[in-house]
Amino acid sequence: MTDDDADTLAALADRRGAERAVYQPAEDSRLLAEAAVDHARGRTLEVGTGSGWVAERIATETTATVVASDPNPAACQEARDREVPAVRADLVAPFRANSLDTVAFNPPYLPTDPDNEWDDWMERALSGGESGRAVIDPFVDTVGRVLRPDGVVLLLVSSLTGFETVVDHAERNGFAATTVCQESYPFETLSVLRLTLDN
Amino acid sequence: MKESLMEILCDPLDKSELELEVEERDGEEIIEGRLIGTVTGEEYPIEDGIPNLLPPDMRDD
Repeated sequence: MTDDDADTLAALADRRGAERAVYQPAEDSRLLAEAAVDHARGRTLEVGTGSGWVAERIATETTATVVASDPNPAACQEARDREVPAVRADLVAPFRANSLDTVAFNPPYLPTDPDNEWDDWMERALSGGESGRAVIDPFVDTVGRVLRPDGVVLLLVSSLTGFETVVDHAERNGFAATTVCQESYPFETLSVLRLTLDN
Repeated sequence: MKESLMEILCDPLDKSELELEVEERDGEEIIEGRLIGTVTGEEYPIEDGIPNLLPPDMRDD
């Protein structure tokens, strides 16, 4: 990583409120919320809910029944404070097969130098490892199990993570991918992918 | 957690069913208790209304 890259990541981390213990709503959260309000239905899980803001918007602006998960206990508490039921979980591991109509996820995706990780909850909320896909890949590998056959995954993807690589990985897992919204920002382009099981 | 959440939860280790033990309840809401893997026997605590279903090797961090 060059010094310029490190500066870019530091600026992004700063913009995302890295001084706090729980990731607070930012541009990526807003884009995912807009997509989810349009596409979420039925039993809906927001993975990695952070502050619970996206989950709360889905719960208040759609007819979906929403549950949120996060590995961070402080994030689960914030979601619960917004009256969203919360579960401490590793991605979709404790959810039953074929139980969810919608799964929304704004993953940690910033590519991070392994020598420069800071190993706390905010790092967990931001860092996608060296590739940026250290959390996205296991999510895409496992989310098909919990999805109902006509279910929908809404996944926030940054250009920093390699958009085409994520789409290819989803297709190898049996998903059809379409882009439902996209916005460009100073350091990245954010997209929300809609993944459906390609039966 | 609401008891109705049991419909979508499973043991994160082997995806088998969970058994609910309630210690403190507030109407529909389970405040304190535990979820127990019916096959693994693993215990997952419910504290302040939040079930901790992290696999054992990811807990306490």
